[in-house]
Amino acid sequence: MMSAKTEKRLLDVKGLTVEIETRRGPAVVVDGIDLHVDKGETLGVVGESGCGKSLTMLSLMRLLPNKIRVAKGKARFDGRDLQTMSNRELRKVRGGDIGFVFQDPMTSLNPVMRIGDQLAEPLIYLRGMSRKQARARAVELLRLVGIPGSEERIQAYPHELSGGMRQRVMIAIGLACEPKLLIADEPTTALDVTIQAQIVDLVKGLREKLGMSVVWITHDLALIAGLVDRVVVLYAGTVVEDAPVDELYANPQHPYTRGLLASIPKLSDAPASRLNSIGGTPPEPGRRPEGCPFAPRCPLAMDICRTHVPKLEPISAAGSHRAACFAVEKAREAA
Amino acid sequence: MSVVQAQPAPLAEEAPVSLWRDAWYRLKRNRLAIFGLCVIALLAFVALFGPYLTPYDFLGQDLEARNQAPSLAHLFGTDDLGRDVFSRVVYGTRTAFLVAVVVTAIALVLGTVLGAVAGFFGNPFDGVIMWLTDVTMSVPNLLLVVVINASLKTPIAQWMEARYLETLNPFYRETVWIDFLLVFGSMALISWPPYARLVRAQVLSIRSRPYITAAQALGLSNRIILMRYVIPNALGPLIVAVSAGLGTAMVLESAFSFLGVGVNPPTPSWGNMISDGLRVWQHYPHLLAAPAAVLGLASVAFSFLGDGLNDALNPRGSK
Repeated sequence: MMSAKTEKRLLDVKGLTVEIETRRGPAVVVDGIDLHVDKGETLGVVGESGCGKSLTMLSLMRLLPNKIRVAKGKARFDGRDLQTMSNRELRKVRGGDIGFVFQDPMTSLNPVMRIGDQLAEPLIYLRGMSRKQARARAVELLRLVGIPGSEERIQAYPHELSGGMRQRVMIAIGLACEPKLLIADEPTTALDVTIQAQIVDLVKGLREKLGMSVVWITHDLALIAGLVDRVVVLYAGTVVEDAPVDELYANPQHPYTRGLLASIPKLSDAPASRLNSIGGTPPEPGRRPEGCPFAPRCPLAMDICRTHVPKLEPISAAGSHRAACFAVEKAREAA
Repeated sequence: MSVVQAQPAPLAEEAPVSLWRDAWYRLKRNRLAIFGLCVIALLAFVALFGPYLTPYDFLGQDLEARNQAPSLAHLFGTDDLGRDVFSRVVYGTRTAFLVAVVVTAIALVLGTVLGAVAGFFGNPFDGVIMWLTDVTMSVPNLLLVVVINASLKTPIAQWMEARYLETLNPFYRETVWIDFLLVFGSMALISWPPYARLVRAQVLSIRSRPYITAAQALGLSNRIILMRYVIPNALGPLIVAVSAGLGTAMVLESAFSFLGVGVNPPTPSWGNMISDGLRVWQHYPHLLAAPAAVLGLASVAFSFLGDGLNDALNPRGSK
């Protein structure tokens, strides 16, 4: 890689492997993931439940729960190694450089603290602001995320707000220290559809306003179509496809991506027709098949898929679209 | 962009209801709890302003008027030295509250800190602290207190006397506070383990809640997370435990004083008054009845309040 290229990388993850300790020994849940986020870029991370999306992001911040640990791999943020930096430095990165928005706004706010205080906390402890300054900034942040009457709202407790409001507060907390990167872990899963669209619009607007990079984790391909620049599709802890968003929708390569796209209901479908789905479930950690992890569910599976693990190979001339599939490779060679 | 246009969901127009106001509302409707609260408030008032309420000195002897039955002059009668029993019961209330509050405060701080550290930081702290808790709990309370009092009181008193003879400093002559110090120390020593266990259990369950991970993701330090996120969320059950604990401490102090290992005469304590009264109760029942009734009332009041707080702070637990 040229140095110019590495410099525009904000987040660069190489070969990240995460294991869960079980009674039968360590089970791999994230298997050598490579991914990167450029400055100002919005990356969508897509996959079914349990394929390691959240664990990947939590492991970057060293927030993994007990018994789950990073076995190998490197993660660099803005040129610094996240896995080896001291706890002190890491705390600065967590609060200042990387903002995190969690999945469930109902349980991710401290129930006994007023939301104004929760917003002010990182500003006071990490930015050294006075209480008064932090309070003014909290009001400003709530206004930024579209909460009306923010002067009064900072006095509210989380249980006095609706789910959508709480997620706005979560986003405001994530933005409090003006991060370079906002990681949103399925921020709309717990919300109803109209609120989902509002939150997506909100983040889109904020990204442009604040010039930050965003990683949006989701299992909903349709939701992020208008939001992200590039999509990484995860399956069973591996990257199976990586492409610019338009390219991915127009020309999905990996059978898993195709399956995901096919399972989005369309208006043109016949009324009352069955929804498409991908048969089977992702492999449990510790019971990963030999070869390609998707092979047992794959309509195109060949013999080689059950014995060898496909590598992520570029399939477009520019190299920006990559997929890990023997069937795709074979089709390209035949063409 | 659509930042400003985004239409948030409408919010209920109710006045903000905090957790505590909500709990107070539920507590108010619980008659027994309010009865307990009133009794405790009255006893606390008596304890605070005792010296201004009593017509006689609690030590003042009137040998002309010994063993009198209750009358207008002596509300609860007088004892075998002609001391006014009402004044002594009032002073006993002071003793009981002093011991209960100090002991509970020490036990609470000790138990909360140890329990929180054990629960939050896990092993090896957890192992050591829980081992300490189990060991303390496995020793019979009474035995421990007797051992501490029997083995420490005399040496300290002798040392004090020696110091007094050496220096003639009046500070060393006053020995009543040694009683209190030993009672505080030994009772706190046996009272902290339940708080530690409770707090640890609370912290263990709170530690895995998403808002703790969220706080960590904000870069807050462990100390701040513990003080501002974990402990406040563990407070509800702790308040209930404290209310019950205060009552238990009062009964315990009386029990120890009754057995002669607590507060010693002539300092009045409900316990040593009951002990004195028990010897002559067939002839002068009021000497037993007065302190015993007040002790019973206080104990019941704290139980009622504790129960009521439990219901008020755990709305899911009540019907």
